[in-house]
Amino acid sequence: MMPGFRGYMVKIGFLYSRMRIEEKLLLEELKSRPGTEVVMINDDEAFFDISRQPAEVDVLFERSISYHRGLYISRIFEAFGVPVVNSSEVAGRCGDKYGTSQVLVNHAIPTPRVLMAFSEEAALKAALEIGFPCVMKPVIGSWGRLLAKVDDRFAAEAFIEHKAALGGAGHQVFYIQEYVEKPGRDIRAFCIGEEPICAIYRSSENWITNTARGGAASNCPVTAEVAELVRRTAQAIGGGLLAIDLFETQSGLSVNEVNHTMEFRNSIHTTGVNIPQKMVDYVLARGDHVKG
Amino acid sequence: MKVGILLSRVRVEEKWLLEALEARHIDYERIDDGHLSFDLEEPGKWLGYSVVLERSISFARGLYAAQILNTWDIPTVNMASVAAVCGDKLATTAALARQGIPQPRVKVAFTTKSALEVIEQMGYPVVLKPVVGSWGRLLARINDRDAAEAILEHKETLGSYQHSIFYIQEYIQKPGRDIRAFVIGGETICAMYRNSEHWITNTARGGQGEVCPITPQLDEICRSTAHAMGGGVLAIDVLEDPNRGYLVNEVNHTMEFHTLVPTTGVDVPGMIVDYTVAIASGKINLPSSLDVSASRIVPEVVHQSVC
Repeated sequence: MMPGFRGYMVKIGFLYSRMRIEEKLLLEELKSRPGTEVVMINDDEAFFDISRQPAEVDVLFERSISYHRGLYISRIFEAFGVPVVNSSEVAGRCGDKYGTSQVLVNHAIPTPRVLMAFSEEAALKAALEIGFPCVMKPVIGSWGRLLAKVDDRFAAEAFIEHKAALGGAGHQVFYIQEYVEKPGRDIRAFCIGEEPICAIYRSSENWITNTARGGAASNCPVTAEVAELVRRTAQAIGGGLLAIDLFETQSGLSVNEVNHTMEFRNSIHTTGVNIPQKMVDYVLARGDHVKG
Repeated sequence: MKVGILLSRVRVEEKWLLEALEARHIDYERIDDGHLSFDLEEPGKWLGYSVVLERSISFARGLYAAQILNTWDIPTVNMASVAAVCGDKLATTAALARQGIPQPRVKVAFTTKSALEVIEQMGYPVVLKPVVGSWGRLLARINDRDAAEAILEHKETLGSYQHSIFYIQEYIQKPGRDIRAFVIGGETICAMYRNSEHWITNTARGGQGEVCPITPQLDEICRSTAHAMGGGVLAIDVLEDPNRGYLVNEVNHTMEFHTLVPTTGVDVPGMIVDYTVAIASGKINLPSSLDVSASRIVPEVVHQSVC
């Protein structure tokens, strides 16, 4: 085996659910690095004895599709002193939209107004308070799924009742967000550590701009304003490998969401930045740092 | 002659029905749907009942119990075939359409994509309803595409398979009220308006009752509807369309009537008991045969409608 940066092997635990394009690119990158050894951990197949370290690795690279699987497995590794990218603390802040919003508000980072409610009656009052249109989101969820743009009271009543009657416990938590008029696009900025590396516009005729829902990606220059807001947001969240979604509003940029296990397949060619390479650099530095 | 009364709990309606049975000195037994069991090959004690009045709060329990009893040639009020048609809005709509009875336009689709296409064709607003359900629950009035997309996704993602049967109904600009008419054995016995500022007029959702005169046109549409459902004891919800007149919205087969009785002054529970006894004694022949094959659905949703 080839020596690592300091003459020893760095063992990377690679936690994954499915081999998406992103995981393939990250593994290719990892395997091209001298002095690294990858231990594959599938969150579907494995079980974990919490009384011992699940695998002899120097760092865990968390790429689960499931928020909860990723979060719990990260916590088990962290319990034995293994660093995780991203840490469970960061995952907890990003994976729960309330958690993200609260951190942003506490750090005075511009973000759409959010009201929380915990019953059908209170949720309707909150929607009326925030005004129409407003947005209702599950606090945990991704790919733009189950987002509702609520244009009037009829829609508010129907969503609240459907969520309460049909959804599980998570849907009894009502997260009601101010709707931001955006210019047919939003910005997704990629951040390594606390530094922005590139950004894309996601353009869509639909108000939901996720590329998973048909949004088109184009390069977005990382202006000083974007860079500044990304740094502040990353610091507030706790740093790591992050994708930060920004709205362009009349009063400047505003942070909508922060993602901690993001997809990036549509952003490499668009931005010309080798995102997986920079992600792997960061993960290896974490593993190397601990070992050193 | 012995009458069984199948119930889940004793609401005001069941209390009144039990009082009516007592007042008539009828031999009856209460059957709790939470305790009973059936051996499908051993009717045993069940054959002692001349008729069973079905008052389950659960649509599924009531329907299956009635199916089993009907299989043993024990009549039920209502018959399983009637419950199956009334308890499923799609079956109701189909039965009304077959008889040419005026009703709001309804379209059905099975995927969110096809449902969205249908909604866009119909134009807004539309009403989305679960095919099985009651008390005006989970009705959604959809005013625009944003709402349509998100409600369809919520139903498909969060609901059971039944919530992906998309029942899409034209929204009727009704005059702040609808009509609940009561039909027993083919006779329209009383009716009330349900006034509400909310578009959902169910009294369980705050609608207020007011006596509604039974005009010849109302009587006619109610009788036709009851016949189309297979007869029995039915509560028919009628909408007043400004241009088309009466339209049948829904039909309920195990209705509540705690608002209807004080509003109209009609002894509804007494008339239900008299009808049930008449069925038991063979004085009334049921309009439909004991056809359990008409029971085509496997619902899990609690069903009861309010009057």
